Amino acid sequence: MSDDKKRLSRRKFMVGGGAALTTAFVPMGAHTAAAASQGTFAGGSLQVWSCGGLAEAFMPANAKFEQAMGGSISYTGAFAGALGKSLLGGSARTEVFAPRVLKLAQALKGQGKMLSFQPLCFTEYVLVTPKGNPAGIASIKDLKKDGVKTLCSPDSSPPGGAAAMGVLKKSGVVKEATANSIYLGSCVQHDVADVAAGKADAAVVERRITRLPRYREAFEVIPIPEEYFPAPPIPFTIGMMKWAENRDMAMAFIDFICGEEGQACFREAGFIPALSDEGRRLAEKYGVKDV
Amino acid sequence: MSSTTAIRGARYWIRRLIQAVALFTIAEFSYYGIFRCPFAVPYVSCANCPVVQCPGKQLWLIVLLGILASGLLFGRAFCGYACPAGMLNELFSKVAVLRGKVRGKFAAVAGYGKYVAAAICAVLFFGMHNPRWAVPIRTGEFVNSTVLTFEHAFPLWLIRTSIVVGTLLLGLLIPYFFCRFLCPTGGVLEILGRFSPFKYRVADSCTDCGKCDRTCGLETRPERDNCTNCGECRSVCPVDAIHLGTAAKGRGPQSTA
Repeated sequence: MSDDKKRLSRRKFMVGGGAALTTAFVPMGAHTAAAASQGTFAGGSLQVWSCGGLAEAFMPANAKFEQAMGGSISYTGAFAGALGKSLLGGSARTEVFAPRVLKLAQALKGQGKMLSFQPLCFTEYVLVTPKGNPAGIASIKDLKKDGVKTLCSPDSSPPGGAAAMGVLKKSGVVKEATANSIYLGSCVQHDVADVAAGKADAAVVERRITRLPRYREAFEVIPIPEEYFPAPPIPFTIGMMKWAENRDMAMAFIDFICGEEGQACFREAGFIPALSDEGRRLAEKYGVKDV
Repeated sequence: MSSTTAIRGARYWIRRLIQAVALFTIAEFSYYGIFRCPFAVPYVSCANCPVVQCPGKQLWLIVLLGILASGLLFGRAFCGYACPAGMLNELFSKVAVLRGKVRGKFAAVAGYGKYVAAAICAVLFFGMHNPRWAVPIRTGEFVNSTVLTFEHAFPLWLIRTSIVVGTLLLGLLIPYFFCRFLCPTGGVLEILGRFSPFKYRVADSCTDCGKCDRTCGLETRPERDNCTNCGECRSVCPVDAIHLGTAAKGRGPQSTA
């Protein structure tokens, strides 16, 4: 007998491994290829970036656009501040961008990187409690009560961290709510599971969190008065970037997202669509205008 | 072809088939865990992870339960049959420069690294609520999203990922460096493996010729640390002392192939 293993050569194993890897990743491109094959923009593609909070709205909206108009949408959703930093100061490029925070759109427009923008949707903050609301929370002021176990995530990426803490601050309960937090978390989507599980009595989150599939039936939802919302994270805009190669497709996409069908996806995901009476009121209130 | 040769061949190709199936089902999940998971400990907070496209959102529980069950029954078999990092290490081991050179006391002491890594992961997960160390790229193009993750991640995430990638690449120098010395999953499975019933065992007829550990990519022997029950060593044993079975240690029956 020999110590050598001769049944499978290194080359054969690498070829086999490469083939298996290719097979493993093939399904990812299948949907896009199918969607790109027919419609007004058949064969075209559009790179879209947005604030990550909008992902649950953009994904179905993108799919509907692809189905209706053809072409493929290469979509990335991530913390808008980080994407904005890449676009403002780095070498990053995209064709359509939907940021949170009005000033980011204005800064990009000021640099000439965003050609135009318009209101997309608005977010709002709510209190969530475990099902049945065992601590009997009636309003955000109740977070001051002794014995109420809160959950704060100050290190979460905006707007979950600083903005939620801002809501607590404007409500006059930040000191007690922070002191009563069962721990200080770093990710709203992750930490809020402990509210659903009853480990904490209440937390401040965006309404969109309550629409995520995992949490859709997991909480009691209590509104927070709008006066306590910090302004910056509330409005979202969408705009065409100067790098848009197919501007007809980019404009058609923006029109679709801001139209009835697209906006329905944002309402379903827990946002207030710009295309609504409430959306128009908020656009006026927050000054969301491309001037 | 003799029946013995046929059995060996079948055993070999069964492992390759399992590896191919595992690659198809969990390679992408494995990739996301290393390169896009925003949490300190990947693969365990998938249900409420903000990375929308990660296949772990559907796979994490069944994969974790599968690994646990395999560990209880077959020790580190997951490492040798299904782990994508293990497969990568297997490929690297074919060209590793220091094959057969890192043994003895250094290997024994460095082998504790995987238990330390497992302990650190346990503290981060159970004691620190698995902190988030990266800005999650919630969804996005496969490669570009990885680039963005690196661009916007916190220093701790970069350190963690650099250690994983660096030690995986060290496999080109020292065979299975990551698997032998650093993999926390391997550390947990190693512990479970001490109690697992189904494993390759060495019978008293062993002459201690050393052919088995010279053949083994992980440079070990059945029933020793880092054995993944791959069975490669069985083919080279000159006295047929290596057997797969449930018998007590060192008392391998003429059993069960």
